[in-house]
Amino acid sequence: MKKLIILFAALLVSAKAQTQATAPPPIVLSPVIPGDVNITAKTVSIDAFQPDFDVYSWNTFIALNWPVGPDGKTDPRQQIGARGDNDTVWEHYRDVRDVFLPNGKKPSWNGSPQEPPVPVKGFKKGMAVLSQVGKTPNVLTDASQPFNTGPLIDQNGNYTRFQILINKTMFDYILNNSLYSKAGQKVFTPPVNFTCGSLASGSKPAVEGAIMVKASWKVIDPSEQSQFHSEEVVVCSPPVKEGGKPVCELKTMGLVGLHIAHKTKSASQWLWSTFEHVDNAPTDADVRSGNLKPKYNFYNPKCTAQACPANAIPPRPWVPALVSSFHSQVVRNNMFNLPIYAASASARNGDAWKLLLGVNPNSVWRNYELISTMWPTDPGNCAAVPGDPLGAPAPTFMANTTLETYLQKSNPPQPNVSSQCIECHSNATMTVPVPSDFTYILQRAQ
Amino acid sequence: MSAALTGFLSSVLKPALDPVGLARTYYEFALTQVGVSAMSALMGAFRAIQTQPPQVIADTLLETSNSAPSDQAKIAQSIVAMWYLGAWYRPGQTGGGGFPPTPMQVISSEAYTNGLVWKVMQSHPMGFSPFTFGYWSQQPGPLSSFGVNTGSGGGQ
Amino acid sequence: MSTSTQAGTPEYDVIIVGAGVSGNTIAWQLGLAGKKVLILEAGLAVPDSREDYMENFYLALAKTPEAPYPALADRKSTPSGGINLPNPAQLPTPRATVLGLGKAPDASYLVQLQANGTNPKPDGKGNVRGLQFSSTYERIGGGTSWHWLGTSLRELENDLQMKTKYGVFQDWPVNYTEMQGLWAQAEKAIGVAASTVQQEPLEVVGLQFPPGYQFPMGPIPMSIVDQTVSGGVAGMQVPGMLDGDGDTNMYDVFVTPTPQGRNSEPYQDRRVCAGNTNCIPICPIQAKWDPTVTLGEALDTGNVTVSYQSVAVNVAVEGQNATRIDYLVWSSDANGNITKEMKSVTGKVYVLAAHAIENAKLLLMSNNRKGICNKSDQVGRNLMDHVLYLSWALIDENDNPIWGYRGPLATSGIESLRDGAFRKYRSSFRMEIGNEGWNFPSSDPYNTTMDFIQGTNNAQLNKNGQRLGGLALAQQLNNLLTRQFRIGVMFDQAPLPENRVTLDPQYTDGLGLPRPHIDYGLDPYTMEGFRVAKDVCSKIYARMGATEFTKTSSGDTGDFTYKGTDYHYYGAGHIMGTHRMGTDPNLSVVDASQRSHDVTNLWIVGSGSFPTACTANPTLTLMGLAFKSAQSILTALAS
Repeated sequence: MKKLIILFAALLVSAKAQTQATAPPPIVLSPVIPGDVNITAKTVSIDAFQPDFDVYSWNTFIALNWPVGPDGKTDPRQQIGARGDNDTVWEHYRDVRDVFLPNGKKPSWNGSPQEPPVPVKGFKKGMAVLSQVGKTPNVLTDASQPFNTGPLIDQNGNYTRFQILINKTMFDYILNNSLYSKAGQKVFTPPVNFTCGSLASGSKPAVEGAIMVKASWKVIDPSEQSQFHSEEVVVCSPPVKEGGKPVCELKTMGLVGLHIAHKTKSASQWLWSTFEHVDNAPTDADVRSGNLKPKYNFYNPKCTAQACPANAIPPRPWVPALVSSFHSQVVRNNMFNLPIYAASASARNGDAWKLLLGVNPNSVWRNYELISTMWPTDPGNCAAVPGDPLGAPAPTFMANTTLETYLQKSNPPQPNVSSQCIECHSNATMTVPVPSDFTYILQRAQ
Repeated sequence: MSAALTGFLSSVLKPALDPVGLARTYYEFALTQVGVSAMSALMGAFRAIQTQPPQVIADTLLETSNSAPSDQAKIAQSIVAMWYLGAWYRPGQTGGGGFPPTPMQVISSEAYTNGLVWKVMQSHPMGFSPFTFGYWSQQPGPLSSFGVNTGSGGGQ
Repeated sequence: MSTSTQAGTPEYDVIIVGAGVSGNTIAWQLGLAGKKVLILEAGLAVPDSREDYMENFYLALAKTPEAPYPALADRKSTPSGGINLPNPAQLPTPRATVLGLGKAPDASYLVQLQANGTNPKPDGKGNVRGLQFSSTYERIGGGTSWHWLGTSLRELENDLQMKTKYGVFQDWPVNYTEMQGLWAQAEKAIGVAASTVQQEPLEVVGLQFPPGYQFPMGPIPMSIVDQTVSGGVAGMQVPGMLDGDGDTNMYDVFVTPTPQGRNSEPYQDRRVCAGNTNCIPICPIQAKWDPTVTLGEALDTGNVTVSYQSVAVNVAVEGQNATRIDYLVWSSDANGNITKEMKSVTGKVYVLAAHAIENAKLLLMSNNRKGICNKSDQVGRNLMDHVLYLSWALIDENDNPIWGYRGPLATSGIESLRDGAFRKYRSSFRMEIGNEGWNFPSSDPYNTTMDFIQGTNNAQLNKNGQRLGGLALAQQLNNLLTRQFRIGVMFDQAPLPENRVTLDPQYTDGLGLPRPHIDYGLDPYTMEGFRVAKDVCSKIYARMGATEFTKTSSGDTGDFTYKGTDYHYYGAGHIMGTHRMGTDPNLSVVDASQRSHDVTNLWIVGSGSFPTACTANPTLTLMGLAFKSAQSILTALAS
């Protein structure tokens, strides 16, 4: 049950919690995605382990955002951010729209992505399309947060858009087990068990496990491009009126949030890393102290708490095709119960930015910060169901303000409702009520 | 001490990697209720017998054979209740008329969701299921998988 | 966010009072048809997440149905272990609570005769009067069904024709075939998980599905408790009447899975049930449908607005026409000081959907307390509940544990005794198999745990007054808690005109409005049902080799004596009858569409329209009737 403790019992100095005694390994500018966390901590405590996980998160972020070559694969000859911005590895993963096709059609890794449902001026083949339009059953609308809690609307009245992509390892498992269709899921013999990543060991190379990425995007003006990783994409919305046509437009979108989940040997409940654009929102402490930036992606520093209550869901109906008069006023509430989470993320952010700026002082990647990494402290063993299915995660609660805006209660956060990656994802099933190994994407099958 | 009193493994009550930190929360809460000298006395009584088997420790501190347990034993009772039910019960305040005593307060939401009573029945707290659809039509895992010290683990 | 207009300039087609099951369903249907709807909801808005409600639940000293919802009981008990409740006289929207049962009006919103310790009064005609009405409800956005269990049973054919078939009470003015269509709509709107194949054995009590009918989702698996009881009653039969009078038939006793409004697959963007065992008072993950889902769909039409903290106080009527609704918009500060402002709004059609007791109260308050829609004198009368009998038992130590406290609160029941010739003589019942051990009847696991820590015997399992600790405590608790189970029995109580809601002449709420006064009691028809059910439960336990622990009297409010035996009853939370439907305007308040007989543009909807209690939990049926009402409103608006 206590796998990590068994691994490191030999290094145990004291069973009591200690503040961080030794520094973790450095973050590296490398295109190689870590197969797992590399624990170098010398004592067994959350304070000692968290930095190792945060290093893993940054190494993963850097590798996933590494530039690609003309074949869409990572290009080790290039450097991340060398030209300011770059097309990334994860954007060449498979969008789940193109995995779970109409009629449960068999997907292919390299097949053409679905085109926009209506013609769009300026559309080029291969361009990303941010949409989920039409009557696909049981689907998360890509302009609304999970379980239809509500959309996130920026300071210009535009809806934030969401996108989920999976790597080849995860795709292959779905393909090989026919989980891309309802029919295939019906006849599958459980359990669903995505491939675990692992560190290099001896002569065995590192293995990349199943990785799923969830990105949140905001409409930006081309003049803002230096501050964001940005892409020109087609953005589609459901029809304004029932029976009408979907609305699709070419837009420049800036990345504002990135969730990375990776199934690894040391985490049968997956490792969960989340990054945000540095200008998304003030923290609740910033708001209390009045220490505010002049401008945020999702917060108006000039609006009072009365007129703009924090983290309020926009009133229905939600019409992503139209510019909204309601703007979300987002505040990042502190959901952490231990100081190490913020302290470690902050230290790793500083280290990472130094590296990134060393490549190019105008690197757009300097605009992204790690919030934290959630990891199971009692993780079980890749496939086996542990005694505590949730694995006692640390931190106990974690939210990305762009992706879990409305589940950020902090005074204190509440078990089973406030944002907690592993808790929530443990409820995930396929279209049949079989647990789907911590991913909700399988319920998109048609 | 809590492990001995409750019958659970100390690695469950106070794991080395402890995201929730209940052991500390409970200790500090109990201190506010019973005071430093009563707590020190109880801890001292524990230390005097801490090498004994856990059941002996429990029976001694809780005075389970004593028909009129001391105030110190009642404090130990409240500590057991706190671990099992996530709430502070006033020492010696019993229920009646078929009802349990009303606790002074639930200590916190996480205290409730980590209550040992739900593990002891091989289930989960009402309101927080870590299990998945249909689990209720199958038998649960063994009691030992829920953290009860059914073996000969040391008390703490 | 109150939206109102000056009287005389209708901005809305329809005004609905109450954002619960009925109100939200009607609003949704009207909004889809392009009608402009305003919902006046007395209570607070639906919160953006259920985090606060869950916190209320986790920290509640008593996990009652009302525990998550405002207004809250104190989170810290008094030094003697009491729980302080807010005084309904100082609350803007007080409501009936379980903790308020048996309490004086400074803690109980409903003004009821039987305070704790007062004896119930037999009236010499076989009735017991002066009993407390034990069901409760909420007044918040989303309504009472935030904390419904999820049970989505259809009524039986004979439920709707008690007069024709058994010569008692009334027939419903809707027939079974029409209801089947309405139930299907409700099952789809809620997302009911069941299989018609599993329901087939109940054809014996007249439950029929149209050929080829499919529920929206597959069934919820039976719990180990269900499986054990089912095995235990195999081959069992019981007589219709205990003394053999009037019904000498033998009836099969068997268990069937219950159609439930919780997800067995992803549905409506909501998660699959994870068995949180907390349906009442709140599903943490919304796997169980609640009316806020339908409210969201209503708002999505773009034609529905909700005005929260808006308490309707008067429906103005001129002749046979409702002309406006007056309502108080309230707010309260951190110290509980209430400010209120009177507003009015007009529409073409008005719908009262504030649940059975508040609907009656509003009707009685209107027109300067002269009342409206009451030519029949039935408003507020025929107050019914599915009176609830709880029995509980412990599986024999030599048998396998029954593994309670797992899964949804109830996943199966015994429906096979719901109909028969005995209905001429006694109330029928359904039996709900509980999955939550002795939680409901005996406050477990808290009770047994404290018994063995403190050496008491409140839960009845510690006769020797043992005190345990350490592993001995863990093992004893494991041994006992895994063998606990309970069966709850719900009776279709007789509708009696003397069971009624009136305006209390003395007590008011924080807005100065009169509070509901309850007169209630039980009659021999209903109590005979108790007598039979008690016997059936005991026989079931004996057949299972289980030891029964049902306490016949708790010495508390909710006790009565019948034919020399003491009983304790609970409320099922099914409040019915106060504005009954019927074809005769002299004997009923609304017609089959829940339209008032007296005021042609006023609909009065909800379980208050039920003329008889029937044998199924009411939510599915009242939602089906709401669909029917919506259609009739659209027809009326078109003409």
